[in-house]
Amino acid sequence: MRKAAIVGIGHTVFGNLSDYDLVDVMSFASTNALDDAGIRENRKIIDQVLVANMGGGIINHQTGIASSLVSRIDLEPAMAELVENGPASGASAVKLGYSLIASGMADVVMVTGGELMRAVTGWVATDFVATLLHPEAEYNYGITLPGFGGIFTRMYMERYGLTEEELSLVAVKDHENGSKNPWAHVETICTIEGICNSPDAKVVNNMVADPLRMYHMCPVSDGAATVILCALDSPKMKYFKEKEPILLNGIGSATDTHCLHHRKDPLELTAVRLSAERAYKMAGLKPEDISFAELHDAFIILELAISEEVGFFKRGKAREAIVKGITRINGSLPINTSGGLKAKGHPLGATGVSQIYELVKQLRGEAEKGRQVKNPKHGLSVNFGGFGNNVVTTICSKE
Amino acid sequence: MDIDFSQYEPFKPVVYAVKCPKCGTLDYPAPMICKNCGERRDPSGAIFSAWEKVPLDGKCKLLGWTKLYALPEGIEKKYLLFGVVEFENGLRAIGRLLVEEPKTGMELVSTAGLVREIPGEDVAGFIFDIAG
Ligand SMILES: [Zn+2]
Repeated sequence: MRKAAIVGIGHTVFGNLSDYDLVDVMSFASTNALDDAGIRENRKIIDQVLVANMGGGIINHQTGIASSLVSRIDLEPAMAELVENGPASGASAVKLGYSLIASGMADVVMVTGGELMRAVTGWVATDFVATLLHPEAEYNYGITLPGFGGIFTRMYMERYGLTEEELSLVAVKDHENGSKNPWAHVETICTIEGICNSPDAKVVNNMVADPLRMYHMCPVSDGAATVILCALDSPKMKYFKEKEPILLNGIGSATDTHCLHHRKDPLELTAVRLSAERAYKMAGLKPEDISFAELHDAFIILELAISEEVGFFKRGKAREAIVKGITRINGSLPINTSGGLKAKGHPLGATGVSQIYELVKQLRGEAEKGRQVKNPKHGLSVNFGGFGNNVVTTICSKE
Repeated sequence: MDIDFSQYEPFKPVVYAVKCPKCGTLDYPAPMICKNCGERRDPSGAIFSAWEKVPLDGKCKLLGWTKLYALPEGIEKKYLLFGVVEFENGLRAIGRLLVEEPKTGMELVSTAGLVREIPGEDVAGFIFDIAG
């Protein structure tokens, strides 16, 4: 199979960008990546554009977004398609971009993920995300994604004895990392005192889906991120001389039941485990080879549960890792160095691409002061769609 | 002339599981293929024989729950409680929970009731409460 490298990356700030147009936001990340790759002049060498987005048609009233992006940044006649795979759209688009390279249909692929969710009220955005649930057995009841986050969190706490304070340590770590990331939605740090133990904590950190509080889940964000892939054996690699190419080393995805109640053990995230196994196999790596990871912590319990499913820790043991600081920036296995979805933000279609952006940033040694992992070799990201019913794991490596 | 009286009919909520006509496996919500034997379901009954609808209610056990404040557009409540239960026949489902202070593992009874009003349609779903 052909190999591909990531040769350019771009990002916008995550936060409230509702004054802008969806495709303009995507365009900014895309042109940012053209500059990073050093191909603004030679941009027409891009064969294919893939756009990852979930809500353009529903909340922004825009369709045909991939064609729109190509035209706005003058990339015609590149091939272009939209990839919609819920909150995992971003990594799915990177996976499909890689497949096009592997098959020989393209040599250079630009993948841009973006979402503009704050154009509507939180009430409407929550409903829009809930449309990915089973219409009859879930959505109709008025349950939303935070509801599943709450049910899952309680089950995990009851089975493994995780306390609210221990869980909140994930938020403290993510905020600390996010405060050093210029693209992050949330720029402030938080403390256990402030969100768990102070008299104001229950007000500041209000309940969203018992036992899940506000500081246990991601904000609603706008934003976009881009990666440019090139086939390693392509003559077009000669255009990418400015930055060290980062190998797209392993990529795998898997699905699980649409309804959470169909899973024998709802705490087992089978699609996470299988997608990771596929990515490890393709890369020829094991969990212990990974230097750092970006894990889809839309609800921070997921950082713990996913880190167990991908083989970093035994089931129920991620709790010890967060308590001992193993996953902090200076620990032996830093997780969510970007701030994660919790602090960096979660513009659905952008998230998976943004996670891979972070892998590249770290592997190049370009992360900002205070959040650069020491000499990383292999980074792993997990982009989690639905409530774990469609998951993509990606591994990037220094060549 | 036929007059459509359906809008005057009282709302009689009921939630059904379906039974595979070939192997008898029960499932909820209705699948399009039997997980056990692969028999196809044909909602029209025109090509394959119809699957028996079996009301799903009665005793169940609470496996997990939440009190949810982040409700979607269209639901004007401060919060709602939701639970995942297992029925005595082994089927599981998510539904509304009426118990204000639930405990995981508690015994409940499920009845069908109105769970959402979409313009022109009353939606029936599971409502879980303490027995008696
Ligand atoms: Zn059957």
